[in-house]
Amino acid sequence: MQQLERSFYSKASMYSFIVVMILIFLMWIGTGQFSHVDIMLFGYVIGSLVFAIGITVRMVSWSLRPATQQMLKRSFVNMRNRKRKKRNITSILKTAVDNIVLQKFIFKRGIYRGITHWLIAWGCLGSFAITFGLTFGWMHFSLIDAETYQMVVMGIPTIKMAADGFLAQMIFEGLNITAMMLLFGVLMALIRRSTNKDVKVTQRPEFDLMPLYILLAVTVTGLVLTVSYKFLGGWMHNYMALIHQITVVLFLVYFPFGKLFHLPIRPMAAGVPMNYQEEVQVDTRGCRRCNTPYSSDDQIADVKEVLGLQSFDLQLADGSYLSDYCPACRRRMRVMKQLNLESSLESPYAPIQTMTDVQVPGFGSPRADAYYDNSKGEKEND
Amino acid sequence: MNKIMYLEFERCIGCRACQAACRECGDHDAKERNYVEHVDFMESRQTFPMMCMQCKDPACARVCPANAIQITEEGVVLSASEEKCIGCRNCTFGCPFGIPKFDFEANKMYKCDMCYDRSKHDIAPMCASVCPSDAIRFIDFDEMQSLRRRRTQLNLVEGKKPTEQDKWKYVPEFFGVYSD
Repeated sequence: MQQLERSFYSKASMYSFIVVMILIFLMWIGTGQFSHVDIMLFGYVIGSLVFAIGITVRMVSWSLRPATQQMLKRSFVNMRNRKRKKRNITSILKTAVDNIVLQKFIFKRGIYRGITHWLIAWGCLGSFAITFGLTFGWMHFSLIDAETYQMVVMGIPTIKMAADGFLAQMIFEGLNITAMMLLFGVLMALIRRSTNKDVKVTQRPEFDLMPLYILLAVTVTGLVLTVSYKFLGGWMHNYMALIHQITVVLFLVYFPFGKLFHLPIRPMAAGVPMNYQEEVQVDTRGCRRCNTPYSSDDQIADVKEVLGLQSFDLQLADGSYLSDYCPACRRRMRVMKQLNLESSLESPYAPIQTMTDVQVPGFGSPRADAYYDNSKGEKEND
Repeated sequence: MNKIMYLEFERCIGCRACQAACRECGDHDAKERNYVEHVDFMESRQTFPMMCMQCKDPACARVCPANAIQITEEGVVLSASEEKCIGCRNCTFGCPFGIPKFDFEANKMYKCDMCYDRSKHDIAPMCASVCPSDAIRFIDFDEMQSLRRRRTQLNLVEGKKPTEQDKWKYVPEFFGVYSD
């Protein structure tokens, strides 16, 4: 492996090369040694390959961050541990269903937001599945007899269906259904982003709105194609097809580098129940100072290691680390240090002897500058 | 923007006005992001306000496996971006000051952002604008420098001379955004 890696500029270029090779190999199988490549979709093939390279490069550089690396390392170690088998399977399944299929946590942030995100997410994923399946030739439809279609996946004939049956209709209309989901989702998102004052606080148009505009362009041009061939007898169809192709390629090239890149990051959420907290809000490790449970041993070990790798020296004089204390104790420790309260006070009612030894005179607004000017101050205050 | 949040813990009277104001701030979703706590309730009545230090190289962002914590061009460390945060709580344990809060219900971390929509226009954050005892102030960098200098002078008057090793003990807590 190391030998192989050294023949490339970087890990990212090595993995991109491997991914592209795998895709072309799969295309070779799917299209029967390139015998039925759909040449109309050639632009999409190029766009999809650039998309694959972009995703790979971003994933590699993301997974090389010390924090991400540590999380992945622990996840793989735990996945190989037989004793944790039950916990691993339940946490992966639970995360897949709750966070990815149903996206429950977004519904908890608001039903409107939940519906918006669910429509966009599944519209995108469905469209991706159909687009990649067709462009790489992984699946195609062949006519068995005048009334029966057969779906061929990777060169293997699978289900047969009546050409005008319900299933066939649903499959042929697949992209229209996902496009409608996307259209509604994107419009809902745009309405929220332009009316809600709270999201405007940290919203950046080029980061938060740009993906929505690109998605809108893709869906609208795609749906115009359907309108063109269904109701207008193919009017302007080839021009519209070209415009749609341009928007899709733009979307595919943009995807790995913008906000939409959160999609490949999300599955790592399975690592949280798998590695850190088996049940939500149940902590097992107690604070070193007040003994309140605040985390788990594995997580604190990881945090310490990640901080150490990045030269954060958070070790105290007694050898303990700041992450050994619960957040409330950490706040208190900082203030006690600052206020010289670590040693016991002489009297609870005595003024606090701060480090600066300067007592704050009263709790009102700050005294006028004249107070600190000796000649005037003595007269006024005596 | 060249303003500083200037905290003097000694001045805190524990009225929690800063927390009430924080809840009112835009995008804070009616949850306070700062803290007012007793230093040691059995020993004294001293309370302290606590906000994020807006570190230049934040430990919370460094321990985030999803790379969700971003810093604005003004130097404000924002809450984890909602689309990336996977809810592992590493940031709450990595932060040396115990600042980030975690919302188990919505599965996301949120933290003090110095009321970004206010402070980016040089308006004082909500907490600083309501603090009745001036424990939290939002002041110019130059004013902060002069306050520090005055503290040093008063120390000298009292016969205390800061050295290179412990000079940080002689200045009050301050932090903020210095982009020039």
